[in-house]
Amino acid sequence: MLGRIARKVISGLGGAAAAALCLAAVSALSAALAESDSVHLGVAACAGSNCHGSTKVLDSTSVAQDEYTIWSTKDKHRLAYKVLLEDRAIRMAQALGLPDAKSAKICLDCHADNVPPSQRGREFQLSDGVGCEACHGGASSWLGTHISGSTHAQNVAAGMYPTEQPIARAEKCLNCHFGNGNQFVDHRLYGAGHPRLSFELDTFTVAEPAHFIVDKDYVQRKGVITDAQVWAAGQAIAVVRHSQAMLDPAHSHEGIFPEFALFDCNSCHHPYDSLHAPRPQLPGLGPGNVKLDDGSAVMLAIAALCVAPGPAHEVKQTTIAMRHATLELWPAVQHEAHALGNLAHELAPTLAHHDFTPAEMRAAAGELIALGLVGGDVSYTRAEQTTMALEALIGGMQSSGVIGGPQAQALKASLGGLYESLANPPQFRPESFVKALRDVRVAFEGCCR
Amino acid sequence: MPTPRMPHGLIYAVLVAMALALAGTAAAQTPPRRDIHLGVASCAGNNCHGAVKPPPGASMPLDQFLIWSQKDKHRLAYASLSSELGQRIARNLGLPDAKTAQICLDCHADNVPQEQRGRQFDLADGVGCEACHGAAVGWLGVHLSGAGHKANLAAGMYPTDQPLARAQLCLSCHFGTDKKFVTHQIMGAGHPPMPFELDTYTMIEPAHFVVDKNYMARKGKPNDAQIWAVGQAVDLLKRTEAMLDPKHAPQGLNPELVLFDCQSCHHSVKHLEWQPRKAGIGPGKLRIYDASAVMLDIAAGRVAPDAAKTLSDQMVALHQATTKDWNQVQQAATAVRQLTNQLIPMLTSHDFNRDDLKALANGIIDAGTTGEASEFSQAQQATMALASVVATMRLDGFATADQLKSMNMALAALFEAVGNDETYEPDAFVKALQGFKGTLPQ
Repeated sequence: MLGRIARKVISGLGGAAAAALCLAAVSALSAALAESDSVHLGVAACAGSNCHGSTKVLDSTSVAQDEYTIWSTKDKHRLAYKVLLEDRAIRMAQALGLPDAKSAKICLDCHADNVPPSQRGREFQLSDGVGCEACHGGASSWLGTHISGSTHAQNVAAGMYPTEQPIARAEKCLNCHFGNGNQFVDHRLYGAGHPRLSFELDTFTVAEPAHFIVDKDYVQRKGVITDAQVWAAGQAIAVVRHSQAMLDPAHSHEGIFPEFALFDCNSCHHPYDSLHAPRPQLPGLGPGNVKLDDGSAVMLAIAALCVAPGPAHEVKQTTIAMRHATLELWPAVQHEAHALGNLAHELAPTLAHHDFTPAEMRAAAGELIALGLVGGDVSYTRAEQTTMALEALIGGMQSSGVIGGPQAQALKASLGGLYESLANPPQFRPESFVKALRDVRVAFEGCCR
Repeated sequence: MPTPRMPHGLIYAVLVAMALALAGTAAAQTPPRRDIHLGVASCAGNNCHGAVKPPPGASMPLDQFLIWSQKDKHRLAYASLSSELGQRIARNLGLPDAKTAQICLDCHADNVPQEQRGRQFDLADGVGCEACHGAAVGWLGVHLSGAGHKANLAAGMYPTDQPLARAQLCLSCHFGTDKKFVTHQIMGAGHPPMPFELDTYTMIEPAHFVVDKNYMARKGKPNDAQIWAVGQAVDLLKRTEAMLDPKHAPQGLNPELVLFDCQSCHHSVKHLEWQPRKAGIGPGKLRIYDASAVMLDIAAGRVAPDAAKTLSDQMVALHQATTKDWNQVQQAATAVRQLTNQLIPMLTSHDFNRDDLKALANGIIDAGTTGEASEFSQAQQATMALASVVATMRLDGFATADQLKSMNMALAALFEAVGNDETYEPDAFVKALQGFKGTLPQ
């Protein structure tokens, strides 16, 4: 899980600060987010050695040209379809009463670029898994423009998906890494054996590993987008999605229980011996209650703290109210989830376009550490999100030139203990996390004062 | 003229006399209390139940207090309230102190009301003699007179030798009643899980009685399989009663979670555990704890096959009802409770014979190997059930010493397979079951 995520290596921006995105770009974005019926040509269409299949980084062009090579050798998205052929998937399909995982829509919608047959080009192969066009959009409409050496804005205008923009990226990734109204990993799928979904936009972008390099060419074509922005916007959209899922009638009570996929996995899935350690106690929730997964909401309140203090405070209060509401009935939870979703929806563009200052990033990191050190309130999910947030903020501080490469490396090294405490979710001990977090605090104090 | 006044001394004397007269009347009208708990000390004398070795001419070893005070965890029930865990649970529950909280003391001590506590009674003795055997004030005299077990019972001693009475007594704490109940809130605060099986737990307590000729003459020959079966029935009965208790209806998003199988949630997400069962509720659902029903079904198969079939169907309905609503759960639970109540007298009057034992063993093994009893809770109960079957075979002479030896070795492998819920592997359990099957006398 998180322990297996490759450590981030972010190339510096040399302190460059470029113009913030303008409103025009935002409306272009909304258009681009709409479903396209463009034909998906298939991975093969991008993989040529003179296109994105170069075996080495080419300096002569605006991108490295080895994007396909990275995807096809390192990126797990390439294996998304293949895992449907493995023992676990066979077992899951049996448990779910599906004839076959590799032909089931519920699996393929996220384990492949499952566009309708009418949108599959000659070289398209479902078995390529989550390939280029699953994220970048059907290439038939924009490939010509793209090859002609057009600007990025022209590519996007022709139908390429704007993955560089935090909100668009968050919407795209969360379609599978959380779900939407059409596709969702519910607790039935988990019960059948689906691994736990864990996600943070910035960390997962880097860990994918990213097949882009943020250099001068990149900034020139796509603008400055820092890790802090990606993290903050990613959390806002995650809260929106979580809220939408709670309001979805498909996820209201089934029988006498709520949809457990909306709750913190480790709230239940922990061994009893961890009871011998202090258990996380959330304000207002006594022991023995199943806790909602509100990790993203907690992160959102911290991300927005300096940018929009008023709404940030409301996010915090509403998150607590939502927890309390779990002691009542589902409509009470939905009421708070609705309010939280609205707050997050309004905060998303603000956060996505905000150029986080060094002071703001330091404040957010300080807040994350302080919240973790309060202890007693550290669930696995929260600890995991805190760790990834710190990683994103270190990346943000580095890319905005607040700290240099060696300092960033030292700070990232200080996160080692956090990752170690998270390596085995069932064995997670809040006290190990808190202990490691104290080291992180020392590292931050030594470096960023 | 002033009224003549009585001297003060005289007034006092009259008042005292009146008070004494009143007290005397009251004493004459109130029968002596028969519900006083005299305390562990009153049983512990070295010429009573605290004898290091049996006194000459004694009909049984008289070391019951020694066994309890040295080996029986019940002696530590109160002390555990001041342990680190006990303190933490109290803190998590917002209680000032576990040692003074009724919710804790009701099962961690012989928590009778003050007026029932005798001179030597000490709450700190934990679950002492009279917590199970009943208030001794009524029967101690008869007991010491050597009048016999029946006379003791008639005088108020609790009939712990009788399977149904024992089951009700033990399960009043080892599962709970409407008055005292370990809710999921208490579990969440840190209370350990509470697995229980009447026969096995009697043995490992450890039992402070020896089933010998003298015991049988006084109390009859116990049948471990029967104790097991009755224990399962009473467990199921109590669970259905708890489902019908309005206190445990959903208050918020979830019903009382303690009625569900702990391992249904508290398993590692890394394990692929789900497999189809008769319950048919699909993956990702919480399952009502049904291990006692699965076991009872096997036992009932020998005493009332039709009822066993009905129970099996009723349990499927109960599981299915959890995918509907709590009212339907309660309806299904009502049916199970009614049937279980009918089964109990059939079980208490049934002497499980050699054929029964073979059939029970095979039924338990089949349940384990077909997946109905291969998940942790069921597997743990299946293992304890087989131990009861072996114990019955030994007592009734249905197996040779060699056969008993190999069965016990196979049982040890089973106990090892179900020893730890975190590392539990169904495949290892099934393999151990098959090993045990090979040791069964033909």
